[in-house]
Parts: sequence; C-alpha cells; structure tokens
Amino acid sequence: MAQTATPEAVPDIGQEEETRPRSGLEPGFLVICWNDPVNFMDYVTHVFQIVFAWPRQKAEFHMLQVHNQGKSVLARESMEKAEHYVHQLQKYSLHATMERDE
Amino acid sequence: MKLIQAEKGKLVFHLGKREEHLLRAVLRHYPLIPAAHQPLSKSIKTTANKADQRLLDEALAEQRKDNQRLLEKLLNDPQRFKETEAGCRLTLSGADVEWLLQVLNDVRIGSWIALGSPDKDLGELEWNEETAPQILAMEMSGNFQMTLLEALQRPGAT
Repeated sequence: MAQTATPEAVPDIGQEEETRPRSGLEPGFLVICWNDPVNFMDYVTHVFQIVFAWPRQKAEFHMLQVHNQGKSVLARESMEKAEHYVHQLQKYSLHATMERDE
Repeated sequence: MKLIQAEKGKLVFHLGKREEHLLRAVLRHYPLIPAAHQPLSKSIKTTANKADQRLLDEALAEQRKDNQRLLEKLLNDPQRFKETEAGCRLTLSGADVEWLLQVLNDVRIGSWIALGSPDKDLGELEWNEETAPQILAMEMSGNFQMTLLEALQRPGAT
C-alpha cells in the first residue's frame, strides 16, 4: 500500500466483529481486503469508513492490518451481503474478494 | 488545487489555470482499469460463482457508465468550473467527492496496471517514452486524491 500517513497510535479495537452468529446451517463468507503497493493508506481508510460506516480508528486499524499483514478480514457475512461489500470495495478499486469461512 | 471554502457539505476549490488543465487531462483518461479485471473470489470456483462473477462485472461496468456520465456533466458545467482571473473555482458536493475519488483512483490503478503492476515506489520506476504518461497520470491523480481526502477532514465538509 502506498504510504501517505501513519496514525500516531494503533487503537485496541482489532477483534473481528461478526455481524451474524456462526451457524452450521449457513456457512459464512469472509470479506477480505488484500494489500497492494498502489492504493494510498488514507484512501483505504476512507473507503472502509464509507463502505462499513466504521469510525476512523477502526478503519485505520484494518488498513494497517492490510498494510502490515498483507490482508485483513473485514466482515463475515452471508453470501449476498459479502458480495455486496466486495462490489462496494471494488467500486473504489480496492483489491477485495470474498472467501468461504472454513 | 486548494480548498477555499467548506460549508454545509459544499466544497469550493481554487485551481490555477495549469492545475485545471491537468485535472481535466487526468479525468479524461477515465476509465482505465480493464473490464472484468477484479475477481470476486480467489478460492471459490463453482458454476454459481461464475454467474456471480458475471453479475459483479456487469455491476462494475454499470457503475463506470454512471461515473462517466457524471464526469461529462461536471466537466461541461460552467457553474461548477467557474472561471476566475487566476484560474477557476470548482464547487463539489460530498457525493461528488465520493465518485471523483473513485474516478481518480481508477486512473491511478489503471495506469499502474498499464505499467505492468510493478511492486516499486513511483520514484523507483524507469522513465522512458512508454512509461512517462502512466507515471505522470499516477502522480497527478494521486495528488488530486489526497487534496480531496484532506478536504473531507475539514469542518463543514460533510
């Protein structure tokens, strides 16, 4: 990810939130954002805020996870919702995919 | 490009004549990312997924058409690009900034793809007749993106 700014502190809000309980009947799908060397860090943070309506600190946490670890799991959702989020993220040209949560 | 007013979700920027020319030149590159470039999934390979991939590609193509329509309208609207002695004043709403960010990032990423998706900083890329237009488009679109992102942080911007 292209560097533009580094937040002064990393907030302790990193636990993945599951917006729906895990169920054996309905397998979940992970929405994942992958690192690339071209999207600006501030831009990625902004997109996360807009797409997921996250506060800036949480968006920055996930942006840094993408930057430092190569990817970040942004949500675990039903197939339809995961597709929706991937579409929204790709609209902004972020490298995002959905993968089965196995 | 400098923010001179942010009030009630309306953003007004001053652009010098050269900046306006550069912004228009960068925006005219849109869209640059090849169609069907983005996979829906890296691991799911089913028939249903192929259909979903097709739907995603269609949705993104539709989005590009919408953005192109909005872009045409913006570039030809004298009320939004108001000429001044020193250049022009560009007036944008918060919604305009969102689709403009998508458009500018498409130009940036599309130029990077055209360069062969190098895993290097811009400054490390080799300049020649073939690469210079893409490197410049990346640099310019990135600069305009950062100006818009900074403007959104100002009180009154949203």
